[in-house]
Amino acid sequence: MDNSKIIKTIAQKLFPLILLFGFYLTLHGHLSPGGGFQGGVVIATAIILLALSHGIDETENRFKEKHLNNIEKLAILAFIFLGMLGIFNNYPFLKDIFPLGQRGFLASAGMMIPLNLVISIKVAAGITGIFYILVKYRGEI
Amino acid sequence: MKSYYYITLIIVLSVVAIFSINPEYGKLRNLGHINYYLENGIQDTGAVNLVASIYLNYRTYDTLMETIVLFMSLMGVSIFLGKKGK
Amino acid sequence: MTPINISLLVFMIGLYGVIAKNNMIKKVMGLAIINASVVLFFVAIGYRHDGMAPILENQTYNSIDTVLVNPVPQALMLTAIVVSISLTALALALVVKIYAKYKTLDVQKLYRE
Repeated sequence: MDNSKIIKTIAQKLFPLILLFGFYLTLHGHLSPGGGFQGGVVIATAIILLALSHGIDETENRFKEKHLNNIEKLAILAFIFLGMLGIFNNYPFLKDIFPLGQRGFLASAGMMIPLNLVISIKVAAGITGIFYILVKYRGEI
Repeated sequence: MKSYYYITLIIVLSVVAIFSINPEYGKLRNLGHINYYLENGIQDTGAVNLVASIYLNYRTYDTLMETIVLFMSLMGVSIFLGKKGK
Repeated sequence: MTPINISLLVFMIGLYGVIAKNNMIKKVMGLAIINASVVLFFVAIGYRHDGMAPILENQTYNSIDTVLVNPVPQALMLTAIVVSISLTALALALVVKIYAKYKTLDVQKLYRE
């Protein structure tokens, strides 16, 4: 589909701002409402905005489907690896082993920041993958 | 079934839903076991957001299974609508 | 008119969409509305009178003075929202497959096949 020049220009200018907002929601998950799931969905919305305004073929050239699937599987394995860090030090599975820090600071709350990042990457890749498969279907039975 | 049967059923149920009042909505009472999360949440986890401390520190296992549920939905969509062979 | 009544009203709207519409996509969207109403119901149950959100900025927790709402149903509903997304995606994939085979989205016509 061939959209107008206004929509393509505005979508290109808005894409980094939405991405930045998604990362902000993810990183400040322990200080204000937000967290991994919410930030991941916002990042997926940015990629879907590009796909709706520029056409699905051009967007697939930049964000390839094979790379997104690999990133999603690696993110789940990274979650399990963060849980195994507890077992390697004689603690139960998924115990918090990073230092806690002061309350209210950005660098605090132990294992919450790595967990939030991993969850947001996984959710973004998963929802964009579902969108790609639903859009590229061409009527085979 | 004609369409006005459905509309009358929905209107009757909506009137029942509007006039059913719970007189104990929001009354202050002792929360019981949840007081442990509210008192010791900041001390155990160091996070100011108590909801995040529940689903990322006290109950991390449920969040792990949640990500696997999302992965299974992508697998299901890919089996239904994937490309046929190579 | 507490939020529990409003959640029941939204459930009725979704139920009307499921049983009274003939288009299959509208039925699936009714299911998504029903999921949203259940999430609202669970979050509305944990309300306490004059309570704040469970995020402590600069206060210390005094178990008599600070009144916080119940944070546990909010943490459980994150999982419920993700389940709702996954269910809607799978149902829509099934609808696309049915349309590719029978070339119609009308439920009454599909009953006669």
